[in-house]
Amino acid sequence: MVDQLPNLGREAEMLAAMGMTSIEELFADIPSEVRMKGDLPLPPPQSEEEILSDARRLLGSNVALGERVSFLGAGLYRNYVPAAVFQLVTRGEFLTAYTPYQPEVSQGMLQAMWEFQTLISELVGLPIANLSLYDGSTAAAEALTCSVRVHTRKATQKDTVYVSELTPPDRFSVMENYCQGAEIKIKLLRHLDDGTLDMDSVSEAIGSCGVYVEQPNPLGLLDGGVTQLKEILGEHTALIVGVQPVSLGLVEAPGHYGADIVVGEGQPLGSPITGGGPIYGIFACSKPYLRLMPGRIVGRSIDVDGKTAYCLTLSTREQHIRRHRATSNICTNETLIALMGAMHMALLGPEGLYDLAVRNMTACLMGKQKLATVEGIQMPHSNGDHFNEFAIQLPGSTQDCLEYLDAVGIVGGFNLASWYPTRTNWLLVTFTDQTQVQDIDLLVKHLSGWISTLEVAA
Amino acid sequence: MSHLFDHNGAKGQGYSQPAPVLPASEISLPSGLSRKELPRWPRLSEPEMVRHYTWLSKRNFGIDTGFYPLGSCTMKHNPRVNEVIAQIPGIADIHPHQPEHHLQGLLAIYYEMQYMLEVCAGMDQVTLQPVAGAQGEFTAVRCIQEYFRLRGEDQRTKVIVPDSAHGTNPASAAMCGFEIVEIPSRVDGRIDLDALRAVADDTIAVMMITNPNTLGLFEEDILEASSIIHDVGGQMYYDGANFNAILGITSPGLMGFDAVHFNLHKTFSQPHGGGGPGSGPIGVKSHLADFLPGPLVGKRAAASDELETAVDENWYHWYQPTHTIGKVQQWHGNAGAIIRCWAYYRRYGRGLRTMSEHAVLNANYLRHAIHKATKEAGVDSLVVDGAEAKVAKHEFTLSLAPAKEAHGISAMDVAKGLLDMGYMAPTVYFPLVVPECMMVEPTETESKDTLDTFATHFAEVLQVDAETLHAAPITTPVRRVDEVYAARNLCLRHPYDDE
Repeated sequence: MVDQLPNLGREAEMLAAMGMTSIEELFADIPSEVRMKGDLPLPPPQSEEEILSDARRLLGSNVALGERVSFLGAGLYRNYVPAAVFQLVTRGEFLTAYTPYQPEVSQGMLQAMWEFQTLISELVGLPIANLSLYDGSTAAAEALTCSVRVHTRKATQKDTVYVSELTPPDRFSVMENYCQGAEIKIKLLRHLDDGTLDMDSVSEAIGSCGVYVEQPNPLGLLDGGVTQLKEILGEHTALIVGVQPVSLGLVEAPGHYGADIVVGEGQPLGSPITGGGPIYGIFACSKPYLRLMPGRIVGRSIDVDGKTAYCLTLSTREQHIRRHRATSNICTNETLIALMGAMHMALLGPEGLYDLAVRNMTACLMGKQKLATVEGIQMPHSNGDHFNEFAIQLPGSTQDCLEYLDAVGIVGGFNLASWYPTRTNWLLVTFTDQTQVQDIDLLVKHLSGWISTLEVAA
Repeated sequence: MSHLFDHNGAKGQGYSQPAPVLPASEISLPSGLSRKELPRWPRLSEPEMVRHYTWLSKRNFGIDTGFYPLGSCTMKHNPRVNEVIAQIPGIADIHPHQPEHHLQGLLAIYYEMQYMLEVCAGMDQVTLQPVAGAQGEFTAVRCIQEYFRLRGEDQRTKVIVPDSAHGTNPASAAMCGFEIVEIPSRVDGRIDLDALRAVADDTIAVMMITNPNTLGLFEEDILEASSIIHDVGGQMYYDGANFNAILGITSPGLMGFDAVHFNLHKTFSQPHGGGGPGSGPIGVKSHLADFLPGPLVGKRAAASDELETAVDENWYHWYQPTHTIGKVQQWHGNAGAIIRCWAYYRRYGRGLRTMSEHAVLNANYLRHAIHKATKEAGVDSLVVDGAEAKVAKHEFTLSLAPAKEAHGISAMDVAKGLLDMGYMAPTVYFPLVVPECMMVEPTETESKDTLDTFATHFAEVLQVDAETLHAAPITTPVRRVDEVYAARNLCLRHPYDDE
């Protein structure tokens, strides 16, 4: 602690200047009934070297996915993040700044976030983007409440939204928590056996405030039907599409097929997966949603000399002005991670994004081709096109399979029974730009090995 | 000037990528889903990109740049080893869905952080899942809401918030569906117990309050306020924004609170990052613990076959509280921020009290130094304390109302004058109960010399004539920004040539 407190040893001098003799006098206003007795029951202070050593020991005992062959994704994707991103984002002027309340000395971050808004806007095909929400799940949840604020007055299904039944339960739970206070009813959209949206189910959503679907869906499937939703739903229901942003190097931007709000986990652009946080949530929308949307937004303006300058704008939507009538309670967001996203996007450029999408999608395609050769494995949605991941059906318990693979150094994927209890023996396998051909071969070999143990047992 | 969208090199790509594992021609997409036009992103080589962002960084002010006395934000130094630790693959490259035996180190740190926050706050159970202070508020109020629902106390539809509270308090409670009852504060921002008694009845679910309050003063009547609320069956919620003042000295538990959120990005030095990421864990008393968002981390003795993967004699595991409200973030919160804050707390350990003592020492010393310097410069008539108090806690308020009255110099003018002196300005116009308010929080990581120099410069700014101050700042990358223009001429993205 000595290295963090410049005034250790100068207490007496500072107190004397105030006419005091002890630190205790500074706390005279805290009644004795609420005083803590004795020391905090915590370990003694450590030096930087000791902390680093403990961190290396504890974190070193975690299994980092880069040490293994990994096929685990299910919402977080291990793309390569270029070195320049890490070098630049740790510059103290970015890292140690607060929210830019004094724009004159915060032009760097404000401009970077205005550029981020433009990059996201172009990526998803919508004119407006905020400068991040906490993650994909809170972005989706805030999109639902936003759709109700905008549409419920004219809706025939008031305070009602529809959400794909494939939405992962953890994401769905966030939606429920955000929606319950406004008494919003969440109904489910069904999917067909081939994984695509059931259009009959979609027609039930006509007259509701908003519809939430994902493209690719949570099982990695790209669904052409999603492009028809806006026509079915009409202008008084918000079409909300959740995206994996890298896919948009190949897949049409949802704003170009009628999406009103696009959300998603920004993580694959710019951020390591970091145990699921801090990452950043994308939120973009069309003009009718602007004044009722959540989150901070930067506008381009001028200073008193007429020079281009940037500042936070439309703050009257926000909690520090509007208090309990604010569009959201969000204050601290994920700006620095969004900055990493902007830096990654700036390095990629349009063609680089295309190349990155191709690498992710072809890795997935090769996975499909090779796993199709494994006897005993079925692919429930084999006729579809997939981005990053797809489901396979195993001839035995998914948990047993994952344990077998773990023992040979493979993180085999995500057990889908934990999302969909009826889908026993389903496994979600994920491929990214980090997947090598030999990784896929290894998976094929050991999956076959595991299946042969089942046959022996039988 | 450097504009990202001016860069458009024909083949500009900032990093070259390996070839895909299969040719792109093998890709097929459902009909109508093939992207027709790529986003109009700029094209930069790596050197151009590095120079652009370096240029931007030089137009930004952080704690590393200079003194940052932004009240209510606890802008303390961010130790750099924490950044090194956050890049270790065992945190940067782990997935929340990995099995427990892959994550024993992470779980052990989560367990230790839950415990550390519990003992500092006097609470029985902590969850690390909320990712920001406002989300912590929302989460805690949700838990209390479910607690009352289970008890059949559905008539509790109101949340009490003092008018001096942070805006997130009423916003978070409203998001849960509660009606907000705002009560007036006394002139020093402290709770008006009579006003509280007047609204306290069995329709109250929660009272949300921060202590020290938003004027930096300790609520001496806090036990009385707690018993007024508890007597009508309500719950007390502690906004932890000002926690930096009291670690090891008192705790929300001792003050009678039932739930609390922590701003790890304030008290425990997660860097603010220009607006985030943060981390907003909450702690609750045992009667609310079953409602927390899951999973939480527990421990048991490790079995013999687990000892090889265990980090100590314990096996750390996830578990779900019985009546959990579910999730408020899809994963396990901001794990990377929690690791940094673990590294930060380890530096102090049981000495966290010293950190708070120095935060309070610095705040009081700076308040004293400012009054002394303004007196010596003969401008002490222009600034007064925002509230009468012998001692402040970790922050204090000043009122520039006399300067406004005498010379037409507003708190904002002084703030802009301080920018020209090379400082970040204190928080202005909050809390609203102080006219022409300036809220100053130096934190414990500023030296006496910095505080003395700032006080001198503050007095110098007050000697500047009104006309000059109205024109300030003049030394910053841009001068006063026209926020009205920004709102009236909305330009929220780069205007492409054809638009």
